[in-house]
This record gives sequence, structure tokens and C-alpha cells, in this order.
Amino acid sequence: MAQGLTKSFGTFTAVDGIDFAVERGEAFGFLGPNGAGKSSTMRMIGCVAPITAGTLRILGMNPVTDGPRIRARLGVVPQQDTLDIEMTVRENLYIYGRYFGMPRAELKAKVDALLEFAQLTDRAKSTVDPLSGGMKRRLTIARSLINDPEILLLDEPTTGLDPQARHVLWDRLYRLKQDGVTLVLTTHYMDEAEQLCDRLVVMDGGRFVAEGSPRSLIADHSTREVAELRFAPGANADAAVALAAAISGDRERVEALPDRVLLYVSDGEAALRRAHHLGLSPVSSLVRRSTLEDVFLRLTGRSLID
Amino acid sequence: MTALEAPYRTTMWQVVEHELIEARRYWKGVLITGLATPLLYVLALGIGLGTIVNKHSNSLGVPYVQFVAPAFLTAAALQVAATSATFPVMAGFKWIRFYHGMAATPLTPRQICDGKLLWVGLRTLVGSTVYLAVMAAFGGLHRWQGVFGIFAAVLTGLAFAAPVLALSASVSAEGQAFNVLFRFVVTPMFLFSGTFYPISRLPRWGEVIAYVSPLWHGTQLARGAALGDLSALAALGHVGYLLVWLVVGLGLARWRYRVRLTA
Repeated sequence: MAQGLTKSFGTFTAVDGIDFAVERGEAFGFLGPNGAGKSSTMRMIGCVAPITAGTLRILGMNPVTDGPRIRARLGVVPQQDTLDIEMTVRENLYIYGRYFGMPRAELKAKVDALLEFAQLTDRAKSTVDPLSGGMKRRLTIARSLINDPEILLLDEPTTGLDPQARHVLWDRLYRLKQDGVTLVLTTHYMDEAEQLCDRLVVMDGGRFVAEGSPRSLIADHSTREVAELRFAPGANADAAVALAAAISGDRERVEALPDRVLLYVSDGEAALRRAHHLGLSPVSSLVRRSTLEDVFLRLTGRSLID
Repeated sequence: MTALEAPYRTTMWQVVEHELIEARRYWKGVLITGLATPLLYVLALGIGLGTIVNKHSNSLGVPYVQFVAPAFLTAAALQVAATSATFPVMAGFKWIRFYHGMAATPLTPRQICDGKLLWVGLRTLVGSTVYLAVMAAFGGLHRWQGVFGIFAAVLTGLAFAAPVLALSASVSAEGQAFNVLFRFVVTPMFLFSGTFYPISRLPRWGEVIAYVSPLWHGTQLARGAALGDLSALAALGHVGYLLVWLVVGLGLARWRYRVRLTA
């Protein structure tokens, strides 16, 4: 689908020669910190921003020559809402269908169905402005489905939402996936990526630093378990040095944070026992499974990027 | 062939439809202003000031109200066109961002731009018709051919709105550019375009402003239609000048819309 895809703004290269292919019906995720180039990539796939270099084919067509024809078959959920806040919920859905050239008669039933899908039927006559963040996001997703898209592009679909709203949205997206819609999404929520994506890439500085299924990424870039040991303030760094003796194997490692020490190991309980044998007594400790978040932080670092 | 393999046709009229849905909410206010403004102008200036002007045996050949009415018509059209080509465009790009929503659909930046200008034209057409009707009701119309002034007014509005659209699509700071536009371009045009008296009464530099100003050309057309004192050649010249503004302005506006929406 994309080869050597590049996007530059002046001398700044936002996306630096990435290659990827998304299969029909797949849920594909771009993970990465802010400024990694996720949104620029999405805007190129959405045939809004022109590509600087490389090749990009969407549904077998070239965005340079077939932009409108491709966009006719895409659904787009942008990072920042573009809803018409002065219009009603229903009018927003209706006019969006009209932008696709859909006939008025056909739109009526479609709008009703999408209001139902987004659980906004009873707010249909309300203007958008007073709706909650979750409702606006559901409306944006409903709106993106007005043309029965084959590919749905979601740029940070649940950023800024409360947990209830996120789960409702995930449920809706799951249903779309079941219906065979291809999902392409960006997120910096690891749980979202684990929930929704069949396959994902981790982006940093405009490049891919890893790709695979959530499970294989954990297997490839982290250990099975993580033991978290919390020591008295100020004692964590020294403890980390001592704990180096508690790990073995090529992938196991120690990471010292200001407030705790993380042991990336295959067996967390065993590592804890070894720590006690070394004479270390943490204030508290826990053992958990490795998550995508561990992979993410390992690959893109802990320091703030923006 | 499924519905999705046969994309529906999209045109700039869908952008007009967006404006129409929005207009449902504000048309009453616009109509009241649209009726009140010409009423106030025709009463205050045409009849009030006109009484004094006419007393001093005016050299215009017609009652003063009939002299100023066509000029007010084009000036109002220009004002309406400039207003709808500024703040609502800023809303589309920045405040509400509905243009970015449109850009994700099959609509092209060019259709979005053209649709906006078409809407400005339609809005000016309706506004000018109301305006002319009110003026005519108060004796502002010298002869029936004066109704052609509506077309002069719409052309003036479009000619000015097109480059203003390019400006509105380029600015990102809130409003400041628009203040400058209205204070230092729109208002002076109103004063130096032969609205209240023939520009031959202006000093030389004032005449130059008038020649450049699209409003003067529009006013000459509307007044010519109303009073019947304009030669065909002069009329053609005025129309040509306004068309240059329209064509160049539209080219600039399309370019700025494309740059803004594909950034």
C-alpha cells in the first residue's frame, strides 16, 4: 500500500520513508508519541495532504490522480473535531452525506440508522455545541460512516474521553471490524491498541521502530513479566545497581525510575525472591505481565518529546 | 456494480447546501437588517439630505434620492459580500473547522472555494433584490430599467468577494486583517466611489481611488441602468474591469483554499 512514503514541511521531515501494507478487513494501528508522524501519515492516506516522496496506493488507486474517488470510499475520524457545532446532530449527518453526493431520499434512512448506532437518537435535534465530548466523538464516528466506507481512518479516536465513553466507542469500532470494515488508527493509548489492532507499528521520529501483532511486539521487545519494586525515596538508584545481580538471560534488564525499580524478567516471582536473597527489602513490590506500554516506552524512550 | 464503485456526483452546490442549512438559523435577522438598512439610508440621506440638496437646485438632473439609490444598492452588495467572505470563512478554517470536514470527503478544495463564492453571489442577489424593492417603494427608482442595477450589484459583490476569500483563506490571526480590510478598504471605497456625488467633484487623487475601486465601476453600471446616461462602451468597460477582479480573485482564492486545505 505504501512504499518509501515521505512527508516534509520545508526542511522538516515528518514522515521519513515508511513502508507498510494493510489488508482488507484488518485493524492496523500506528502507535507513537506526539510528533512521531502519525497524523501526517493519516492525512496522506486520507488523500488530503499530498505525499512528498514515495508511492501510496489506496484501494488500488493513486491519491494524486484519484483523490476524490478514493475519498468517496473512506471514512475519516480526525484528531480534532470538524463537526458543525451550530447545526443539529441530524443536520451534521445529513449534510455530510450530501458532501458525498448521496441523494436526499436515501440519506434519511441512513441518518436514522447512524443516530441509533451512535446512541444519539434522542439528541438528534440538539445542536452539537452542548454535547459532551463522548457524544461528539460518537457523532464524528457516525458521520464518518455515512458513505459505508471500506476503510475507516481514525486519528486518536478516544483521546480526551472518560473510560465509559472510550469503552462505548471501542464497542462500536469492534462491531465495524466484525462487519469487515478496514480500520486504520493512530493512538498513544496502549490498551486501545491492544483492544483493537490486529497489527501495529510503533513510530518515532517519522520512522517505524517496530511492527507486529500486540502479542508478538511484547514477545520481541519485552520480557514475559515485570517485577516492580518500590524502595524508600532516594534509595531506588542504589537498589537498581544491586539488582543487576538478580537478573539473567539476554533480554532481562533493570530500569531505575525515580520512585521505583522495574525488573524485566521471564519470571517475576523468582526475581523477587532473588532480590530478597540479595538482602534488599523493598517497601512494596508487585509482579505483572508485560504490556504494550512497556514495549512502547522501551522503543520510544521515557523523556517527553514535545 | 455496488453503490460504492459508482461514487455519487459532488458539486459546489453541496457547499451551497451547507450554507443554506446554516442560513435556516439566521435568515430572520438578516431579513430584518436587509429591510431596515435601505429604509434608513433612503430616509436619512435620500430624503433628508436630499431635501436640502434639491432645494439648492441640484445639478444632477434627477431628485437626489434617485441619484444615490443605485449607489447604495451596489455599496450594500459590496458590504454583504465582504462580510460573508470574511468571518464565516475564518469559522470554516479555524473556529468551527467545517472546511476540514468537507476536505475529507470527495469535495475538492476548488469546489469548496467555488461553492462559497456561489453562495456569496446568491446571498447578494437576494439582498440586492430586497434592497431595490425598498428603495423603489420610496421613489428611489428613476425608471424601470433600474432593476438591472441588481446585476451590477451582484457582479460588484462577486468581484470584491473573490480576492477577499483569498485573504480569508490565508490569515490565521483572528480578525485583525478583517478590521484593516473594513476600515481602510471597504469604508473608503464607499466614500470615494461616487456614492454621494459624481467623482468629478473629487480632487485628482480621489478620482484615482475611484477608478481603481470596483465599487465605483459597479455604481456607474447601476446608476447608468437607473438614469440611462451611460454609453454601451462605458458599460462594457465597467463590466470588463469587474470581471478582471472576479477572475483574478477567484484564481487567488482557489489557490489559497487548496494550500490551506492540503497543508
